[in-house]
Amino acid sequence: MRFSVIMRYVGTVMLIIAAFMAISAFISLMSHDSGFYPLLLSSLLTFVLGGFPLLFVPKADNITNKEGFTIVVGSWILACAVGMFPYLIWGGEFTLINAWFESVSGFTTTGASILKNIEMLPQGLLFWRSATCWIGGAGVVMFALLILPSLGTNKMALSSIELSSLAKDNYRYRTQMVVRILLVVYVGLTLITTLSLKMAGMRWFDAINHAMSACATGGFSTKNASIGAFNSPLIEAILIVAMFLSSIHFGLIYSTFARKANNIFRSEVVRTYVWIILFASVTIAISLYFAGIYTDWLHSFRESIFQVVSIITTTGYATANTNTWTPFAIVTIIILSIICGCAGSTAGGVKVDRILLYAKALIAKLRTQQHPNAIVRVRLDGVIQENRHLEAVTLFITTYFVLILMGTLTSTLFGMDLLSAFSSSVTFIGNVGPGFGEVGSYDNYADIPIILKIQGSILMLMGRLEIFGFIQFISIKAWR
Amino acid sequence: MKGIGKRVTIGFLSIVVLLLVSGVISIVELSNLSYDTKVILDAGGEDITMAKGLLQSSHDHSRAVLDLVIFEDSTSLAKRDKAIADIAEQIHLLKGEETNTTLRGCIDTLSDCAAKLERVTKNYELQKQKHAALTGRVWYSKIYEPAYNDLTEQIKHYMKLSHGELAPRAEQLSRNAYRAITPVMISLLVMIAVVLMLYYFVYIYSVKPILKINKALSDYLTFKLPFTVKAQLIDQLKELHDNIDALITSSKSNK
Repeated sequence: MRFSVIMRYVGTVMLIIAAFMAISAFISLMSHDSGFYPLLLSSLLTFVLGGFPLLFVPKADNITNKEGFTIVVGSWILACAVGMFPYLIWGGEFTLINAWFESVSGFTTTGASILKNIEMLPQGLLFWRSATCWIGGAGVVMFALLILPSLGTNKMALSSIELSSLAKDNYRYRTQMVVRILLVVYVGLTLITTLSLKMAGMRWFDAINHAMSACATGGFSTKNASIGAFNSPLIEAILIVAMFLSSIHFGLIYSTFARKANNIFRSEVVRTYVWIILFASVTIAISLYFAGIYTDWLHSFRESIFQVVSIITTTGYATANTNTWTPFAIVTIIILSIICGCAGSTAGGVKVDRILLYAKALIAKLRTQQHPNAIVRVRLDGVIQENRHLEAVTLFITTYFVLILMGTLTSTLFGMDLLSAFSSSVTFIGNVGPGFGEVGSYDNYADIPIILKIQGSILMLMGRLEIFGFIQFISIKAWR
Repeated sequence: MKGIGKRVTIGFLSIVVLLLVSGVISIVELSNLSYDTKVILDAGGEDITMAKGLLQSSHDHSRAVLDLVIFEDSTSLAKRDKAIADIAEQIHLLKGEETNTTLRGCIDTLSDCAAKLERVTKNYELQKQKHAALTGRVWYSKIYEPAYNDLTEQIKHYMKLSHGELAPRAEQLSRNAYRAITPVMISLLVMIAVVLMLYYFVYIYSVKPILKINKALSDYLTFKLPFTVKAQLIDQLKELHDNIDALITSSKSNK
């Protein structure tokens, strides 16, 4: 493994981060707030750190899978580390652990915050928070891919980590195409959402921040009361569409706009995803209406669908205090926090693809038991799935639940109540954001013990790197 | 300058710039911290001086009143009036400078106590005219002393309160100290990372190739082994390798 080559590409990612810090510093300068100096200094330091390897290491023609893997995970961890510089230098509520937590939460698009008063933050830092989500959403390494000279020949060496194996299979394109799809869909969606939010009555600053955060399915808001602060059905509707589209396979969105056969309307996964959203929204709305939490049907459905879409897409925006909702609604939302969006999107969690595949594998197993001689094949979107895929899905889901249970166990050990402990573990690993109890939709993670903040950041990273990506990085020396 | 020389120069210059930035940040942050500390200490010092002055004036007043009413020393009249005027002036100064509402309330009470003391002192002569039996000692202990004690207690209360107000400022100071040290620490960490990277790159792209070229050349000259260098060669080192290779080829063809 060539460390110098790895350093060069990780350095490129750092340069991109430094550029975003510089933009944030410019915003601070324009708004004459206290964020200018911390952001400018962070930008300079990140620039030096990232630019240094580029000075020495010549361009590499080919990178191996192992190198690509290290670049992805290394970039993510280093991005989180340099991402906390502006918070640390600015001070306020940001201690070392708080700054690390906020940075990891941003880059992993979790959107969980330690801030008790978000509106106290200078505009430049608010923009930086949203930018971390946006960079994380695109996949830090996707940016690095743009400058890779051997883009076409490297195949999926770099992208195979943050896009799950299912998404990778679904793409059926070369890396250059993947980059194009990501750029067109991601940037396009962000621009359209920004314009729509502005037209719906948001300030430009809020519109840009919320668009970046929604399209990354991050969930960082510029308001203490999140989207609830705007109290606008139109803004909520725009964000529902933006969050929903951002949680669908980007390749499918691209194919739909390019009028290709393999589009959203034909996708079995998307169909299942829509049904899950509709079913959960309607049942939660009924539950809330009959429990008397909302007095009219329309209001009940409005709150229900926003919260369902916000959670299942792993965004985590809030318009209501879900802690006061019925136990049925709470359990349903926790289940949605585990299922999450589709593979090949910016969403985290188990993903609908895996859930669907798991369900189909289960049915296939039952059929095989009924008809021992029958050859039962599992298909997803018309494609026959190999046994190794089914095994990987089972292993992934099992590990996912084991990690949730371990997280819950540790959290309860450090004094958290069961609901808060379980829901926070679920939201950390699923990169969702808000949980229930002490960490509800209108609460924050400021008062949880330091050890749980560290555990939370590890779970967030594991979730973002599809669990095994993180585990393999730790044992990378043992690779052959 | 070009090639490896240029890279190493830029590398060292980056470190110098980073050192300079770290130094400037340290100076700026430490001067900010020093200024904040001075402001807080000055505020505390001023409060103590004021309270000390008030106590001294109260003491002078008490002494003058004592001389006047018990020892009937008429020269103390001027001292008494001067002391009460000093108290009034200092309270006026405190009122003008204090912005904190709690402390302003305390100063108002202090002002009331001073006014009461002045009133009591002035009333002594009137009361003495009315009641011939009223002795100076009785008046002092029964009427003056409680008013005097009220004033001194209020001054002490003000001292306590103003010191209490310093606690949040001191906390702010500790936060500022943390803030001052953070950018310096981050800059130093980045600099350490850059120095380590420079060492690594210089070793990989300069030192190691030179050692390998030297070894390969020695092997060629001693054992006539083929001149092959297993190292990443860039810039002038690659040129050096190519030139040696060319020299070997040319010497072989001359033979």
